[in-house]
Amino acid sequence: MQLKKVLTMRTIVATSAGLTLSSSTFVAAVQVAGFLAGDAAWLAILTGGLLCMTAALCFGELNGMTPSAAGIRLYFSRAYNDQLAIIVSMLYMMVVMGVIGAESYVLAQVLYEVWPAVPALAWILTMFSIVTVVNLLGVKIAGGFQSALTYGLILSLLAFAFIALFKADFQLTGFLSAVGAKGLVNAVALGVFLFVGFEWVTPLAEEVTHHRMVSRGMLLAIGILSVTYALFTVAMTATTPREVLAGSPIPHLLFARGILGEAGVTWMVAITLAASITTFNAGLISVSRFIYSSAREHVLPPVFSKISLRFFTPWTAVLTIFIIGLTISIAVLVTQRYLMLVNMAAAMESIIYAMAGLAVIRLRKKMPEADRPYRIPGGYIIPGICAIVFTGLAMAVFASFPIVLLYITLGLLLCTWYVKVVVPELKLCYQEKKTTIRPRRRPVSGEQTRTD
Amino acid sequence: MATHEEISAGLQSFYEGYQKNSKLKLMNRDWNRVIRIIASDIDSQHTLTLQNGELTVTQGVSDQNPDLVVTSDSETLADLFYGDITPTEPYMNGTLVIQGSEDDIVRLDFISLMIWGE
Repeated sequence: MQLKKVLTMRTIVATSAGLTLSSSTFVAAVQVAGFLAGDAAWLAILTGGLLCMTAALCFGELNGMTPSAAGIRLYFSRAYNDQLAIIVSMLYMMVVMGVIGAESYVLAQVLYEVWPAVPALAWILTMFSIVTVVNLLGVKIAGGFQSALTYGLILSLLAFAFIALFKADFQLTGFLSAVGAKGLVNAVALGVFLFVGFEWVTPLAEEVTHHRMVSRGMLLAIGILSVTYALFTVAMTATTPREVLAGSPIPHLLFARGILGEAGVTWMVAITLAASITTFNAGLISVSRFIYSSAREHVLPPVFSKISLRFFTPWTAVLTIFIIGLTISIAVLVTQRYLMLVNMAAAMESIIYAMAGLAVIRLRKKMPEADRPYRIPGGYIIPGICAIVFTGLAMAVFASFPIVLLYITLGLLLCTWYVKVVVPELKLCYQEKKTTIRPRRRPVSGEQTRTD
Repeated sequence: MATHEEISAGLQSFYEGYQKNSKLKLMNRDWNRVIRIIASDIDSQHTLTLQNGELTVTQGVSDQNPDLVVTSDSETLADLFYGDITPTEPYMNGTLVIQGSEDDIVRLDFISLMIWGE
């Protein structure tokens, strides 16, 4: 059976890479380079990419078994239990909101640098308002436009890198001696952030001809991004003083100005806007749909499942994100602690990837006969590596930034309390309300008449 | 396990709910879709066709390729179209599998919400 509309590999790769490419990745790339002396950033980025490929393989197997837009909520529910799946999903969505906060801050700083007459807060308000209105009206970015945007973005970053390396007459020297084990582990851990979101492509599994396409698409996207990030980061650190890059939320703009002057700034502003549009929009859609569907299954209060009768959009969920996102962005603007959000996302993503590796192992034991259109070769080796390595990377982030551990633990406790205490109450309220308002419609077996 | 007739009756109930809601018809006037409903445990297939806001329910498979394919066990399908359960719960636990674009899946849930309420 063939669906009317199916997606191509080009769209899958563009979606996976497009959701990953964001303005805050440039900041993270500089942080990665900061852990390592010399030009060794590329080593950490390629290693991070390679490790993310193990996670992509795990997502491929899980997604093949249960191709659903529900994603980790469903994988983890089957592998562990429903409560844990809800807790992790909630925490994950909180971190996604944090990423949106960091993203809006970086973008606002870029625009403020170019047009200093307009304060950064005004840019943040404008961006959130535009994205919120677009989502309230149900306007979608066309697939073709998004693909063109992503591939254009990758080519632009590569072009910048090659121009810079050529201008600087760059030669790779002495990188291995400059790499210390601790620095490399920390750099790789943070390097994972560069690939955050590649797995957001899994909801498209319901729109492809073969589930292997999603797995291959994720691997290809990570491969392309690894090379692009590695070249771009090496070019940045080779041509711009590290202390200048490290102390700025807009290192990519400083680099562009240094290489191509004002023309470079204009080009980089266009790149930043393009990178942020996709991340911003995808983040808002993901979280608003999560809020809506959680309300529909009575995990959140029913008010969040209200939909606009005019535009068919979950308006309360979208407005909630607007308020939360704006609050986080303003908090970041005031405190300037955008790097903490980057580190939190890196740690949370590592936890999710480790759990995905474990989920593959658990499901193979729990449901050995289940249909697996894609099965990772090599038995438990790759999922095992994924689970162990990403657990270690999460620990490395916690060891380097204990505050991140504190915030994630607090978030975990809050979500656990909510799921254990509030959710049962909400479900009970719903059952009582449903019984009062609407008796069961379907005739019970053997009964001939409708009960209502 | 529900029977093919029970699923048909559930779809009829869904159809009647849709027909009563003129706003829903108006909102769907540009959402032309073919939705195939397949029971995984019994031999039962139905096709929902939305054309210019008008919904038709037919038994069996239509000639057109579907935009959405809804697959679940017969019991879940019958409960779902009678409005006894929301689609979200079986979807989240993997009992209900829907092939098609994510936007279309969300739209289908919106329609169900507007017909049956929370």
